[in-house]
Amino acid sequence: MKRTVPLMLALVGGVIMIIQYFIPHQVSQDVFDYYTSWAPVVSGFALILGVGSITRLHYHKLRAREKNWPFSIAVLVPIYLMPIFAFFVPASLGGGSEFPGFFDFMYTRVQVPIQATMFSMLAFYIASAAFRAFRAKSLLATVLLLAAVIVMLGQVPVGDLLGRWLPDTGQWILRYPNLAAKRAIELGVGFGMLATCLKIIFGVERGWLGGAGR
Amino acid sequence: MTFYETAGVWVAALFTLAIYSFLYRENPLYRLAEHLVVGVSLGYSIVLTWQRILYPRLVQPLAAGQEWLLIIPATLGLLYITRFFPKVAWLSRYPIGFLLGTGMGVSFPLDMQALVLRQIHSTVIPVFTPGTPWDVALGTAVIVLGTLAALIYFFFSKPHKGPFFGLGSRVGIWLIMIGFGATFGFTVMGRISLLIGRVQFLLADWLRVIH
Amino acid sequence: MSGMNANTWEKMLNIDRRWIFLMIGVVVIVPFFIRMGLPVVPTDEVRSVYSLIDTLEADDAVFVGWDFDPGTEAENQPMGIAVLRHAFSRHVPVFVTAVSPLGQGLAGQGLASVFDTRTPGNFALVRWADWEPFRAAGHAGRDSLEAAWEAAGNALPEGALGWVFEGVDFAHLGYQPLFSLVILGMGSSIAAQYPTDVSGNPVPEMPMLHAHKNLRDVDLAVTLAGSSACMWCVIYGNAKVGLPVAFGVTAVMATDYFPYIQSGQIVGMMGGLRGAAEYEVLETEGGYTQATGNAYRGMDVQSLAHIVIILLVILGNIAFFAGGFHRKTALKARR
Repeated sequence: MKRTVPLMLALVGGVIMIIQYFIPHQVSQDVFDYYTSWAPVVSGFALILGVGSITRLHYHKLRAREKNWPFSIAVLVPIYLMPIFAFFVPASLGGGSEFPGFFDFMYTRVQVPIQATMFSMLAFYIASAAFRAFRAKSLLATVLLLAAVIVMLGQVPVGDLLGRWLPDTGQWILRYPNLAAKRAIELGVGFGMLATCLKIIFGVERGWLGGAGR
Repeated sequence: MTFYETAGVWVAALFTLAIYSFLYRENPLYRLAEHLVVGVSLGYSIVLTWQRILYPRLVQPLAAGQEWLLIIPATLGLLYITRFFPKVAWLSRYPIGFLLGTGMGVSFPLDMQALVLRQIHSTVIPVFTPGTPWDVALGTAVIVLGTLAALIYFFFSKPHKGPFFGLGSRVGIWLIMIGFGATFGFTVMGRISLLIGRVQFLLADWLRVIH
Repeated sequence: MSGMNANTWEKMLNIDRRWIFLMIGVVVIVPFFIRMGLPVVPTDEVRSVYSLIDTLEADDAVFVGWDFDPGTEAENQPMGIAVLRHAFSRHVPVFVTAVSPLGQGLAGQGLASVFDTRTPGNFALVRWADWEPFRAAGHAGRDSLEAAWEAAGNALPEGALGWVFEGVDFAHLGYQPLFSLVILGMGSSIAAQYPTDVSGNPVPEMPMLHAHKNLRDVDLAVTLAGSSACMWCVIYGNAKVGLPVAFGVTAVMATDYFPYIQSGQIVGMMGGLRGAAEYEVLETEGGYTQATGNAYRGMDVQSLAHIVIILLVILGNIAFFAGGFHRKTALKARR
């Protein structure tokens, strides 16, 4: 029951789905339509796991008065306050509403700017890394840096001022040598995905069973 | 601008600066923002999961007395919660097994088609047809031979020696380095773009010194 | 160079990185005040997306997926706004979707900015509930609806480019999980996957759903993504039902997808802010917009920042080799 049933679910589910692809019959289409309406419902419940784990983690931090415990309040309060806000001002759910409420405000004025700014900080770190880490130590590293410089200049308008050859060369690198390298990598990824699919369906890969009540 | 919008711009600007303060040094304001973002995004996701999935696709049809079969995915979904009770936690493997197995089964033939067959098909192409400009012909040759060379580089079951495997893998690594160089150039570009976005917000929406 | 010993180079390489941060900060702020307006020449990759949408009309339909999170908003949002403007100008119905909850909110923001008639050059939104009486009177076709709407005394706000009727010109379908399966499900029926839109309006009753019941009736899907989620449209949409797909992806990912352009699995790609800027240029050239938008404005800054970063790489290498650090086992590092 603990291992065999979930493994069987994966096996039977996987095989049925592969077979239905090759049989374009109404019955197989009906099975598939049921599946596409059921699976999102199942996955919707997975959010409870995330909310539960985060709540538990920060609740323990709060109770044990661990270092920086006050920040746990900043995590827990919005998790439960956001649904309450949304319940009272349901009109704001669509985003960008004419009569936005606090729910909308917390998203557009707190969440979005913070997350966008966090990602934008990488600009500073990549500049610092450009100065400290990118060394033309070998021939291959030099090739990498040269390709990077040509593409970087080719992608910005100032490249056009230096000469039309610069963006043209940059574009050529992207369309041909870059394409060949990426295609080889993507083919590797593709074969890897196919192998993983089969390994999971046939129970060779069982990592997903782990971590549940052992 | 309404009061709501003005307040919004100021709050957003405050948090933007709070995050940037980290560049000078770590501080409590940064930490507050960092923690808030976790809470708000989860809270937002709870609302949307209810509003977009559980209510219209499960609760509403059940309440209307239609589609009783939806009890099955609902039960399966509820099993996720057993994760929090160590004695029955193994039950949470059921929904995972169902979604994982079926997901893999669905994607297998399509992955094969989109990621492998179509890609191989587009690599085996004529290099030169009359009227092709030289740069395109050269490029096409690079695609055909270069993909092969880069594949040889990733093929570790044979030693990289001799005219085929040796030369092939050496050409392959050169191409891979050019590819990584292009990615690096684009990465720099992307990071700067994200910063430009925030600077535009601060200068135009908040300080209103540019249009 | 003889005056500079290894110690000086070492000091230079170990400069407090906050000075570099400050420099980058200055470099991305200053060019906003010195508008250079350098020309942005559109590439074939972007042009092919633009040209395809430019052939579509009111009886066609496109999907635009806000498949990114706020982290990459600066790159992806201008693409979404540009595509929306283009489609709304041509009255091409747009289905708006999102693969993550946060994406739905960003789609809402993108739509809101195109519907903000306080700024000229935008579109006037008519919500689903607002034109209910006209629906009841049997006006479902776009032309008859617009004529009846204006005959009822509704005047287009000054500077607005046209009306956009919710349910006729666009439907904000919002977020659904397991979008790969949603795409497959939409191969049979779009309405079955999205019973309601984000405001709770009934999707099956919308006129645009009558003409476009499933993905086979859709002419293009544009996925704006900051992750490999964009590939779902290719794997599940293009491979299964032949859905034409265009990418609007972040610069970091863009180089990975050139193979799919060459293989014809995607019709084209906007890569990063530059891609969005190119689309804005094409729209202005095509007469859809009076002026280019935020992405184009960012390109001057982008130019200067690239030059500075290239100089940093060169300077770092000069210091590294001139200081002889390539011969030493390790450079004493200080943060």
